[in-house]
Amino acid sequence: MSGGTPKTVGGYCRARITKDEALRYISHLDYASLMQRAIRRAKLPAAYSEGFNPHMKLSFASALSVGVTSEAEYMDLELAEVLPEQEIADRLHPVLPDGVRLIGLKVLDDKPKALMALVDEAKYEVTVPLCGSFDGVQAALASFNAAKECVYIRKTPKKTREIEIRQYMHGDVCAKEEQGGLLRMTMAIRITPGGSVKPQEVLALLCERYALPVQPDCASVHRLALFGGGKALLSECAGEVRT
Amino acid sequence: MVPLTPDLLQAVTKPARYTGNEWNMSRKRHEDVACTFALSMPDVYEVGMSNLGLKILYEILNRREDTAAERVYAPWIDMEAEMRKRRLPLFSLETRTPIREFDFLGFSLQYEMIYTNVLNMLDLAEIPAYAVERDEDAPFVVGGGPCVYNVEPVADFFDLFVIGEGEEVLGELVAAFVRWKNEGRPKGRAGFLRRAAGISGVYVPSFYTPRYIDGDFAGMEPLGEDVPTVVYKRVVRDMDEAETMENPVVPYIGIVHDRIMLELFRGCSRGCRFCQAGMAYRPVRERSTKRLRALAREMADATGYDEMSLTSLSSADYSCLDGLVDNLMEDFAEDKVSFSLPSLRIDSFSIGLADRMQQVRKSGLTFAPEAGTQRMRDVINKGVTEEDLMNAVSAAFRKGWKSVKLYFMLGLPTETDEDIIGVARLAKKVVDRYQEITGKRGAKVTISVSCFVPKAFTPFQWSAQNTLEEFERKQRLLKENIHDRSIQFNYHDARVSRLEGVLARGDRRLSTVIYEAWKRGARFDGWTDQFHEEYWLGAFEALGVDRAYYNERERRRDEAFPWEHTSPGVSRAFLRTEWDRAVKGELTPDCRRGRCTGCAVCPTIGARVIDGGART
Repeated sequence: MSGGTPKTVGGYCRARITKDEALRYISHLDYASLMQRAIRRAKLPAAYSEGFNPHMKLSFASALSVGVTSEAEYMDLELAEVLPEQEIADRLHPVLPDGVRLIGLKVLDDKPKALMALVDEAKYEVTVPLCGSFDGVQAALASFNAAKECVYIRKTPKKTREIEIRQYMHGDVCAKEEQGGLLRMTMAIRITPGGSVKPQEVLALLCERYALPVQPDCASVHRLALFGGGKALLSECAGEVRT
Repeated sequence: MVPLTPDLLQAVTKPARYTGNEWNMSRKRHEDVACTFALSMPDVYEVGMSNLGLKILYEILNRREDTAAERVYAPWIDMEAEMRKRRLPLFSLETRTPIREFDFLGFSLQYEMIYTNVLNMLDLAEIPAYAVERDEDAPFVVGGGPCVYNVEPVADFFDLFVIGEGEEVLGELVAAFVRWKNEGRPKGRAGFLRRAAGISGVYVPSFYTPRYIDGDFAGMEPLGEDVPTVVYKRVVRDMDEAETMENPVVPYIGIVHDRIMLELFRGCSRGCRFCQAGMAYRPVRERSTKRLRALAREMADATGYDEMSLTSLSSADYSCLDGLVDNLMEDFAEDKVSFSLPSLRIDSFSIGLADRMQQVRKSGLTFAPEAGTQRMRDVINKGVTEEDLMNAVSAAFRKGWKSVKLYFMLGLPTETDEDIIGVARLAKKVVDRYQEITGKRGAKVTISVSCFVPKAFTPFQWSAQNTLEEFERKQRLLKENIHDRSIQFNYHDARVSRLEGVLARGDRRLSTVIYEAWKRGARFDGWTDQFHEEYWLGAFEALGVDRAYYNERERRRDEAFPWEHTSPGVSRAFLRTEWDRAVKGELTPDCRRGRCTGCAVCPTIGARVIDGGART
């Protein structure tokens, strides 16, 4: 650049990362700050907000509840200077803590629409010990899937609220019997501006109301995918780095 | 490996307290090492992980090829219940190995009210509480930390103690263990302890028998000629040369001190007469600015933290603080790292510095005048005047701070009602000063008032502690004298401080009381919501032990103390002179940059003051 004030040219990158077993029990907030520390260890040229208390311009798609693992966490990072995708990935790799893997990364050309606003559906896998017959499972799911309305009572320490959860279900809840007396279920849940439902809540309701014969206390919940408008949040990107 | 199943982890609050795997965690296979060492602070993860000493020792031990050091903290009440229900033994965070399988279990004893947690953790680990009951396979239970300066109340629960700073001695201890193990463990457990007792700074309580005459402690008798009469503390002589922390573990969940701790220096010789740390950690030994800058860079790169605390007993006393802060802010200008000082001196220099470091986040300043009148501050040798405080808060208010927190103590020796009312008056003056400077109301002054606990190896070790009635009357008196709504008054539970007062100057006879209190249900006694005085009162009563004997009595001038055989090196004569001077309200200056005050620490332990600003 010659003459004038050199303008900082920034960029954006979107990454798909995991939250594996080792991190199952940390909160979304703690997950966000561990990623910030990893980005700092990677010495990536992250952009920071202005002011006396600058914070890294890093945003996430959809908060994962404590106890849930995921292979579909997405984050957008604003960079003060553009780096090639491979370099960002190479720097990030060795400094990620146990329980985070980088699955995909893409440099974006323009400022992206906020991930939070983009995402409208999440797909989960729930693995849970079976304590009855698979016929019982099929019967329970058939009547849940056919129900028009289904009210779940959400209790938090502060308040108790009724939510209709069928409106958040995208397609049927499916199940497969696995070895070792386990049941593997998949469910797609809508994330709307008005709210959503947690897979654990769907499971609790299936047990209480539809007599699903499983041990819900021993369930492990895993997020398989996040979608926006029916598309995976990184799939449309050409040149995605697969690591 | 102890199994942690999802149903267990989902049943407890903050399961990440128990799952380990953090960044910079050490990963070693026990088959590959000769010695395994579990390091613990008997408190919950967030508190234990904030302890600087343990962080240092963890790294130093793990640098040894022959040793694996792992961490274990006290399971919170809910986790304890689950573990007992499922019969899970206490385990380490790194490899989830049952603690009873380790060679050593080291506890950092930071304050007396955590003693029942030690017993609880031993119980969860299936290790007998009393050292004498442990068999050949049990770990050696080691104690360290500030409580070693009167360790007798818990002496029976430990195989050995490390007196003073652990950086060097812990390595020597491990080396002695490995030798003993390779030789085929000659003479068993006692054989190793005998060797350990030969290491400078190691105290093996089973080699000493207390003598009592007419129920009074009369001295400690070493058993055998090869054990020292007095075990003096170990110190790091040169902080620049000493091995230290470079890659601290970065927790996954928020902890109490969730930032890099850059230790500027050890020791403080201001000589506040109530302060055990001030007497016990002498002499002052600074790190050079060059070394600190290198450490800061190393730790920031290794952790990714964006906050760094410049820690010491009184960080503002660092000789080149101004320059250091400039250097650090320059070094990290691109890294968006913020710096903080945990303790501020009461002067405008400190305010200027805090202002520079905090930029605009004026979150609140904390000062510790400790007492409300000049007379009282002279008694405790605080060396701060009302003018100093008013200058400091004026500077702070001018720089835009609105809220100030002031620390005080009630129940100091020679205290009168006038001194207590003085606390309220001082707080009011601070509130008024805000209005004078800014022309408006809106200052927030918090006074936090603790109950004085006389501690071993301080000039006040002879002093009586106030009774519960006195403490509570004084708290009421102070409250009645606060009329301004800008003043927030916080005070400690006097019952806890009274119990601390018993344990802090107790003798070996108290071990049965601590054990009984734990049996009755006491644990996490330092946590307000977990403290149940009835467990303790019941224990004292059941065993016929008079609490007042330990804390309400002014001790005889020539009385034998049950703590003098584990010594930080400060002489009894010096402490006695300081006690006499206190009563007369005479000040004793800091030896750091002035004349030697004759505390005897340097010659006794073979160390010297290292201070960049001292004229040598």
